[in-house]
This record gives sequence, structure tokens and C-alpha cells, in this order.
Amino acid sequence: MNIEPLLFHRPESLKEAFELGRSLGGGATFLAGGTELVPDFRRGREAPSHVISLSGLSELRGIELRRGQLRVGALVTIEEICESAAVREWLPSLAEAASLLASPQIRNLATIGGNFCRAVPCADTPPVCIAAGSHVVLVSERGARTLPAEQLFTGPRQTVLEPGELLREISIPAQPDRSGGSYQRFAHRRGSALAVAAVAARVVLDGDRVEDARIVLGAVGPTPLMAHNSAAILSGAVPSDEAVARAAKEAAGESEPISDLRGSAEFRRQLVEVLTARALRVAIERARIGGSGPGDETRISS
Amino acid sequence: MSGDTLLRLEVNGEARSLAVAPNETLLDVLRLQLGLTGTKKGCGMGDCGACTVLMNGRPVNACLILAPQADGTTVTTIEGLATDGGLHPLQQSFVRHGALQCGYCTSGVLMAAKGLIDRNPDPTEDEIRQALAGNLCRCGTYPRIIEAVKTWRAEEDVRFDTRPPATASRDQERDLAIVSHGVTRYDGPDKVTGRAKYTADLRLPGMIYGRILCSPIPHGIIKNIDTRRARELPGVLAVITGADVPDTYYGVSPARYDEHVLAKDRVRYVGDEVAAVAAFDEYTAEKALALIDVEYEDLPSVLDPHEAMKDGAPLIHPENPRFANNINTHVDWHFGDTETGFAEAHHVREQRFVGNRTYQSPIEPHAALARWEHHGEKLTLWSATQVPHYVHKMISRTLDIPMGSIRVIKPAVGGGFGGKAETTPLDFCAVLLAKATGRPVMMEYSREEMFHHFRGRHRQTIDLKIGVKADGTITAVDSRIVLDGGAYTSFGVITAYYAGSMVPTLYKIPNYRYEGFRVYTNLPASGAFRGHGVPQPRFAFESLLDMIAEDLAIDPIEIRLRNAMEPDYRTCNGLDIASCEFTATLEQAREASGWVEKKGKLPRGQGIGVGCGGFVSGAGYPIYRSDFPHSNAMIRVHEDGTGVSLHIAAAEIGQGSDTVLVQIAAEELGVPYEWVWMVECDTVLSPLDLGSYSSRVTLMGGNAVKMAAESVREKLFRIAGRHLGCDPAELGARDGRIFVRAHPETSFGWAEAARAAFSQSGPVVGTGCYQPPKNLGADVKGGAVGTSPAYSFSTAVCEVSVDLETGFVKVERITDFSDGGTVINPTTFHGQVEGSAIMGLGETLLEDMLHGKDGKLVNPNLHDYLLPTICESPEIKTAAVESYEPRGPFGAKEVGEGSLLPMLGAIANAIYDATGVRVTELPITPEKILRGLREPSAASGSASRGDA
Repeated sequence: MNIEPLLFHRPESLKEAFELGRSLGGGATFLAGGTELVPDFRRGREAPSHVISLSGLSELRGIELRRGQLRVGALVTIEEICESAAVREWLPSLAEAASLLASPQIRNLATIGGNFCRAVPCADTPPVCIAAGSHVVLVSERGARTLPAEQLFTGPRQTVLEPGELLREISIPAQPDRSGGSYQRFAHRRGSALAVAAVAARVVLDGDRVEDARIVLGAVGPTPLMAHNSAAILSGAVPSDEAVARAAKEAAGESEPISDLRGSAEFRRQLVEVLTARALRVAIERARIGGSGPGDETRISS
Repeated sequence: MSGDTLLRLEVNGEARSLAVAPNETLLDVLRLQLGLTGTKKGCGMGDCGACTVLMNGRPVNACLILAPQADGTTVTTIEGLATDGGLHPLQQSFVRHGALQCGYCTSGVLMAAKGLIDRNPDPTEDEIRQALAGNLCRCGTYPRIIEAVKTWRAEEDVRFDTRPPATASRDQERDLAIVSHGVTRYDGPDKVTGRAKYTADLRLPGMIYGRILCSPIPHGIIKNIDTRRARELPGVLAVITGADVPDTYYGVSPARYDEHVLAKDRVRYVGDEVAAVAAFDEYTAEKALALIDVEYEDLPSVLDPHEAMKDGAPLIHPENPRFANNINTHVDWHFGDTETGFAEAHHVREQRFVGNRTYQSPIEPHAALARWEHHGEKLTLWSATQVPHYVHKMISRTLDIPMGSIRVIKPAVGGGFGGKAETTPLDFCAVLLAKATGRPVMMEYSREEMFHHFRGRHRQTIDLKIGVKADGTITAVDSRIVLDGGAYTSFGVITAYYAGSMVPTLYKIPNYRYEGFRVYTNLPASGAFRGHGVPQPRFAFESLLDMIAEDLAIDPIEIRLRNAMEPDYRTCNGLDIASCEFTATLEQAREASGWVEKKGKLPRGQGIGVGCGGFVSGAGYPIYRSDFPHSNAMIRVHEDGTGVSLHIAAAEIGQGSDTVLVQIAAEELGVPYEWVWMVECDTVLSPLDLGSYSSRVTLMGGNAVKMAAESVREKLFRIAGRHLGCDPAELGARDGRIFVRAHPETSFGWAEAARAAFSQSGPVVGTGCYQPPKNLGADVKGGAVGTSPAYSFSTAVCEVSVDLETGFVKVERITDFSDGGTVINPTTFHGQVEGSAIMGLGETLLEDMLHGKDGKLVNPNLHDYLLPTICESPEIKTAAVESYEPRGPFGAKEVGEGSLLPMLGAIANAIYDATGVRVTELPITPEKILRGLREPSAASGSASRGDA
């Protein structure tokens, strides 16, 4: 289908963007990389009469370390994340998740802000960021607010963003010493495919015990899901195969998958169990060797 | 809404300033405003990568970028890759390696590869796969693309896998100069530069655009159509409905014409064509579709062929009493005596197998462009078709226009695989709308419309029973198949016969029963797809044969050898097998794959399996009754003798037929390959050829070309003989020289002879034609289907690893040995087999069209209907066994379809070997494997997919 006529705006500052957002109201849509929005225009899922391109907003760009946080601007492309030495150093699992997203062409256009704000349940970058304890910074004319990243999502394609509000950045805290992260996903194809189920895990060790575990499930619920009970099984426990298996089983129970053309709910629950165990094993191993150095093989063969 | 904005960008090194509408994409701007049609549109959704360009040095999908977003950027398209009019080393490498077939994805692949090598000039294989993961190539050229990118800087002519295939020793005395050599593709340079023009790339003055309105419901009566609002929309030039099209039915097989150009009173599937619009631009045409008010009366629909066959099911073609119980075609064949055959068997096993609805998915969407000339008396139709002659015939017959007034031209075609083997509603509507408006009309399908139009693989439910003696010798086979035909016949009559006729061609089967039912349903019509009707029965047969071999503790290759077809054998269903090196394919595949070392010795999770196949080298009979030769060629020598034109309407659709035919012409004429101009597929310029289906071009077109070349050569030999003072029969020709075979140093210039011939009696022209042998096949109803002058044979050994926790299958390696007769071009031969392996992988593991209960397609796009990417492409070793087919040109027969057939069974058998799970329902998804692993009792593993 062809795209409906629209008026194109390219504000040069956040202030200008907010003004446009207010004056144009519900007929306007913010545009970042466009890799999801433009197909949605074509499908008629969205037909705004105004598009406000964010491409002129330097405030939303860049990856930088500030006050002990890695600040990833909403307009940073997925490919920039893949290639960023800072991201690889700070949170390798984010670079790994980014490298699995769609195709190189898409990664060159798509932004991390778009991957968050479109709130598609199978998005690859939110689970690792949530597992790492990240926050999102939302800005509007009324000022900025900061939320734990998991609180951004309220349902499939739904967020807490209010009209005219924008995601400015994702703020990733320094990962504790002796912590490790991993992102494991299953897709039907090795090249350019959507996740059928995905699991991000971060484990912090204290001595020979797990001090803290965070497990986030992707593509198996309306939003990225925090598997609290699964994580609780590991917290304080010796990370044995048996504990990992119990946590994995629990995570499967905490998932809320639907059946669709990519797989039945039952299949997805089985995948969650397998992927959780794999993610935990990699995360624990990385934590043991004192953080997760680059070069670890974490991609599963699917 | 007027919102044009100024777009300033640099394209291929030139600063451009353009007024663009913000709802246009960069792809629209490049193709429509700047005429840079080398950048292709394949899906419009960022799924296929055909529109890849470099933006600020990075590969991006031009279809995903709103034009104003490109402001201030630097864009490089395929046209900007080589700046000196020649070829960039990357392009040279693609041509050298045969890393292109239909060429439609090639521009995008090259740009993605350019983005890679600019950053990383020496990429590893894995880096190449990652960088090209967003570029779909349906021809499956991936192995060659990887090689071409890896060695792009090699200045030497490094060829990929050019070990000469074993060629016919019986022809070796000819000492071939061009045939059997891997000369580069005739169409290579045009396809790597974006210069090759596909139908949708054409532009004519005053050209307007058409679109078709499709039914939103699976079954209903059209109570009323009101087109007033659409006609009144500014920019709309014509609207036509069922009332404006002839009452004549059309179709493929004359026995079952059952389609109207636009629905007359009834719609039969979601996507059935109801009306068509022409407007100044595509956007307005599409808007107008939404303004056509159609009042439907819903009828009960039936989506499952087994339900549709039951008494009382809704009738889909009630107007025709022959289609009682929605049975479109019923085949009932008995050859030999199966009752006795099964009684003699030591072991009998039966099993149900279920196939999938797979779609050809060429990356080029169907397109048509029509123009009336000479005061509206003569029609030219450019069509993305693989069968120009049948389009010509069907347009003439249906629209009642004399064939002599119609010119059909096939521009470059971006893949067909059977999906472009019939006249489409686009062809008809473009002609009618061009007539109604007096302007040239361009029409294209969107990716979603392609899925609705379909004509892909019939989903078959196969109940197969095989009986064998204790040593594995087959005594009888019984096959009962229900084919889901969809709403119309298309090729389906022939499909229903093929599903039965090809089973006895591979193994010697003394007693055979086949009952087939092709059944109408309210789904898109199924048609002819590479291997036409045979891949699913072959999957069933190869699977069941392995099950029986295991029961009897016989090695799978051994049981095949014990039953293998032999040369000069008449099958139980009356097919005459001439050359046959099937046994050699089995033995050599066993050897080369390391079968003996691996079979039964691999760790759990790894497996090896074998599958076999074969196909016709051209159908023995045309689709409609005719005594015309099937292929015809004309060769004209240019007046000064340094060039020749080969006129033939065989259809190059990516398989490499132009290259093969030019090789045959050059070889037989004795001139360099580069001297030959191909004048292909224009019905005014080239004589009739039935086109590209049933793997017919190399054998049939090749014979016609060879005969035309012989005729030219004889004329020149008479002249040369006079000059050299010898009998023309003693002469030979090679590389532009005519020489005395006994004294090659005594020679005469080929061009000189041609000039003398022209001076003496005008144009030097030779013609040739090919007619298959008469009276092929058994004297039974449908006995013509499966007949052919020659048959191919292939064996594939597949190795897989299976993730036992998730069911994910990775195809690691495929080893294929094919008997395609003499190989005319090793590069295109290997390319065809590699492409078959990758397409077979997709059909076996990934692909299925899923419909909801409302008859709507759930996955009409290339992110939900998954084709293999370059990351799926396994290690593939292909080879030809020594073979010579006396009926083929230089001993050649087919390879393009036969090589697909072994793949499904080979992969399924390898998965069983790895996991112990026998999945009998395609596609073999991880979920089905996992279910089989977790519930060993459900050994068939036919888990259902999620509720779609």
C-alpha cells in the first residue's frame, strides 16, 4: 500500500519538537529510524497527517559516560550500539542483543529509542537493559522524569509515554563487580528474524553464592517480563546446575506467551526454560571470571 | 494535501535538488524521479533488501526512508558503483563466480557487500554472512555470493568450483570449445550494473498506473458494484468490473478453463479480482479502489479439501456440474497388479504425509505494461512472464484479439519458479485499461498481492503404502493423494497427474496404484512450482523408503541401489527412460559424503540422510493441443560476418538459459561466444517457443538452436569448401575459423565466408525447430503427463545438527550428484543445484502459508513467511556424473527442477537420524521436533503449529 499524504517537520531542538507536538496534537507522530513506523504507515496501521522527524535533535544522540551511568541517546542506531567500544565494555550483552536485531540495513536505520518506544514484545534491546537495572529518561515540556526501564512498557505497543513526551535516553548503571550478563534468544532463522522467545539475565556473585539475579523474558508476554520468582530462587543460593534448572523451570511458569504463527504458547514456555538456563549459565560464568569480557561466545546457534 | 519539500542530497557523486512529497520514500525518488531503476522494489517493508543503497556509506533499505529524511545525505546506488563505465572489482567478481541468477536481488546484494568491504576489505565468511543477512536471494545464489565477496580483490580469474563436470566421453572426440565450459553469464554484466530492465523498470511517455481490487471475503455473491465514487476521483481515468470483461473463461489447461478476468458474480477466495482502476499515479489508483462500493452476500466457505469433498459442502463452482463435491480433477490409475504385488511383499508399511503451501516468492513482483499502437489496432504487452507464448495465446483467445495483432515482450525476469507460468490478471487488466484510456498502463503486484494471487505449491495429503521383498526390492506401491487446489484450476489438472506419474521414474516399481483428488477450496489457487506436484510425494516416498529400510536393517543407500532405475527402461506407467545414471549418483554421493563413515556413527543431535529425485527434461506435450514444434530458433549472420543474432523466444528467468543457448549456438557455428547476440522473447522478433517450464529449455531450445546453427554452418561450409578446394563435409569450424578437419592448418575465415555468402545471395539465415518424439506415454487418461524426451536423476546426502533442547535444525552440509546429461555450463549447472538445495531447505524447514478461519492469509509478507537467508546457506558440494543423453543437444538434459526433489527427503531423513523423530508433516519445525523428542510415543511428530 502507498503511504498517505503527510506533512513533514524537522525541529532543530527539543523545545521546538515539544511545541510542534503540542500544536499538532494527536495528528502527529514522532519519527526516529522509521523501520517500524514506515511499514506501519504502509499497512495503514498508522496514518498521521504530520510526522515530526527527530533527526535534527542532537540532544537525543550520542553514547557517553556521565556520573557513573552510560547514557545511550534515544537516536543512537542499533548498529552504533553494536560497534560502540563503550557499550561493549559497559554492557556486552546489549551489544550482543543489538547484533541479533533484524538485518544490517535495518540496524543502520533503527534506533534504540524506537526499539523501546514502539514497545513490540519481541524487541531485542529492552530485556538486557532491564536486566542491567537501567532507567529511561522521558522528557516533555513539563520537564524530565526518570523511570526504571521496565516501567516504560504497559502492553503490546503501549507505553507510559504521554502525548508529546519523548524518550531522551537510556541510562545504564555500572554493573557490579563479579557480575555477568547474557542474552539468549530463539528465532526460526539464523539471518534476520524476530525472536520467538528471549531471555536476558544478569547475575551478581558474592563469594560462591549468588547475591542478586535479574531475569527478563522477551517475546513471551505483553511486555518484557521480570521473572521475579525465578530470580528469587537463585538469590542467595549456590549457583548449581540444579538451582539453575529450578530457576529456569520457574521462569517458564512466569512467562505469559501467546500462540501465534511463530509458535504455540506451550512451545514458547519450553523455550523460556531452555533459554533461561542457558542465559544463567553464561551470566554465572562471566560473573565468575570477573565481569564479562568481550569474545565470550554467547550466541546460541539459533 | 500539498506538502512538497525540497530534498537536497548527493546521489552517486552528483548534487541533486528535488521537490518531493513527504509520503514518498527514497526508493520512489531514486526510481521514479531520478530514473535509477537499478535499485529494485521487492517488498516495500524492509524485508528483502532488493532496495539496498548506501546512505552516508551505510547499507540501508531505501523503501523505509521517507524522502525528506534523506535530506543532506550522500546516497550511492548500483549505478554509482563503477564510476568509469566499466565494472567495479566486486561486480567483476560476481560475474566471474556466477554469483547472480535472475539478477533482481543483485543490486541490493552488491551494495550491501560494498558497505562491508569499504569497512573491512578482507571479510571472513561469517562476516560476509552477517553483512548480507538482510538480502534475500530466491535463486539461492548464496554460496557463490560468499565466494565472490571473499575474493573480490583477486585479479586473477579465480573461478569457483570450476572442476569440469564429468562430461560425456562419447562426445569428447568433438573437442568442444564452448559447450561444457564455464563461460560467464550472457546477462551478467547488465545484471551487476543495474542496467538490466525488468518490466517495472520500463517507462513510456504518457504511462499511467493500474491497480486491482480484490475480494475481502473467501466466498460470496457480488450483489452490486458501484464505481461512481471511484470514477469521480480526480486523476482516475478508467474503472472496469466484471461487466466490462469477456464472458470467456480462461485458465491454463484447456480441459478446465474456469476463471474470468474479473469476477462476474461470485468471489471464491480472499484476493479474487473484482475490479480494476487506471489513474495518473499509483497512489490515486489505490485510493480509487477504496471508493468502489461492492455489496457482497456472504456464502459459506470451505478451506479444507477433505471437508470440501464431503456431500453437502458448499460448492465453489456450482455453475459447472462436472465439479461435484468440489472435485476439480480425479485421477485413478492402476498399473500392473498391486493386490498381487502387496501379497508377494515380505514387508508392507504405510504412512500418511502432509505437505505445506509454499509460495515461489520470486523477489521480482509480477508486473505488466500494455500499450496500444497503430490507431488502437496493435497491442504490445511487456510482461514479467516465463511463458510469453502462452500469455500471447491466452490474451488473444480471452480478449478476442488476433495473435497477429499482439506483440508480447518479456523483459528481464526476476525469478519465476513456476509462479510466472500463466497469464495473470495484471496482463489482462493492463490491456483492457490501456484500451479504455488510450494510454500505456503499468501494473504491478505488491508483495501481499503476490501471496494472494499465489499459484504456488499444492498442499498434499498423501497416504502412501510400499511393499518390499525381504531384500528391499519394491513389489508394489499404492498412493492416494488429496491436493488442496484452492479456488481455481490453474495448472492443477497437470499437478494432480504429476503427483502420480513421476513416482515410478526413480525406482523400478512393477505394480502401482495412484488415486488423486484435486479439490477446490476457498483459498488462493495452487499452481505449478519447481518440481511441479512431485516434491511432496517424493518427500513421502523417500521418508517411507527409509522407514522400511530401517525395519529391514538395510542401509538407506543400499535399498535405493537395489531398486534404482536403469537406462532404456519403460516404467509401469509407460514412461520411456533413455539415459539414466541414477546408480552412479547414488554411489558417488555415498563416496563423496563419507556416508559409510558417518551413517549410524554420529553423536545424538547430528544426523545424515539421503534423498533422491529426478524430473522431466521438458514436457512431452504442449499445454494445448498443437502440432507446432515446441522450440524454434532463427540465426541471422550479420552482414560483415563478425556477429550473429540468435532469435528465440525461450525465456531467461534467471536459470541461465540465454547463456546455455548462446553457448550451443557459438559451439555449433564455430564462432567465439562473444560474437552472439541474443534476441530473446519478443514475439515479433523471435519464433515461437513454449517458454520456461517443465525444465524444457536446454534440451528443446538447445536442439532448435543447434539445428539453426547447423543450417547456417552448412551454407558457410559450401563457400569455404569452394575456396579451400575440398568437400564441405570435411570441414569443421571453431573460434571464427573454418578448417579442414584432417589438416586444421588449412583454414578460411568464418567472417570472410559469411561476407561471401551475403554477397552471393543476401541474408544468411538458418532456422531450427524441435518437436519431441511422437506418441510418448501410456494410452490412459492423463498418460501424457510425465512424458518427456529425457529424465534427470539426482541423489543428495544431507547432514544436519539439531539442538535437542529447542528443536532448531541447522543444515550443515549437502552433497549432491546429478545426472543432467552433458553439462553445457558448469557454473550455471552448479548454481541451479545449489539454488535447489537452498530452496529445498526452505520448503522443508521454514515455509508455509497460513490462513485463518476467515480465509485470510496470516503471513503475506517476507518477515512472517520465511525464506532462507545467506545465514541458512549450508556447505554445498555439487557434481555431475558422467552421462550422455542422445536426444539432448551435445548430450544434455535438465537439472533445474530434478535437483530440488531429493532435498526434502534428505533433510527429513537426516533429522530422523539425528533425533529419532520422524516428522511426516511439512514444514519440519522446531516445535514438531521438540514434541517428538518429548513425547516419543508421538513418533510421527506431526505436532500442529500454533493457532494462527
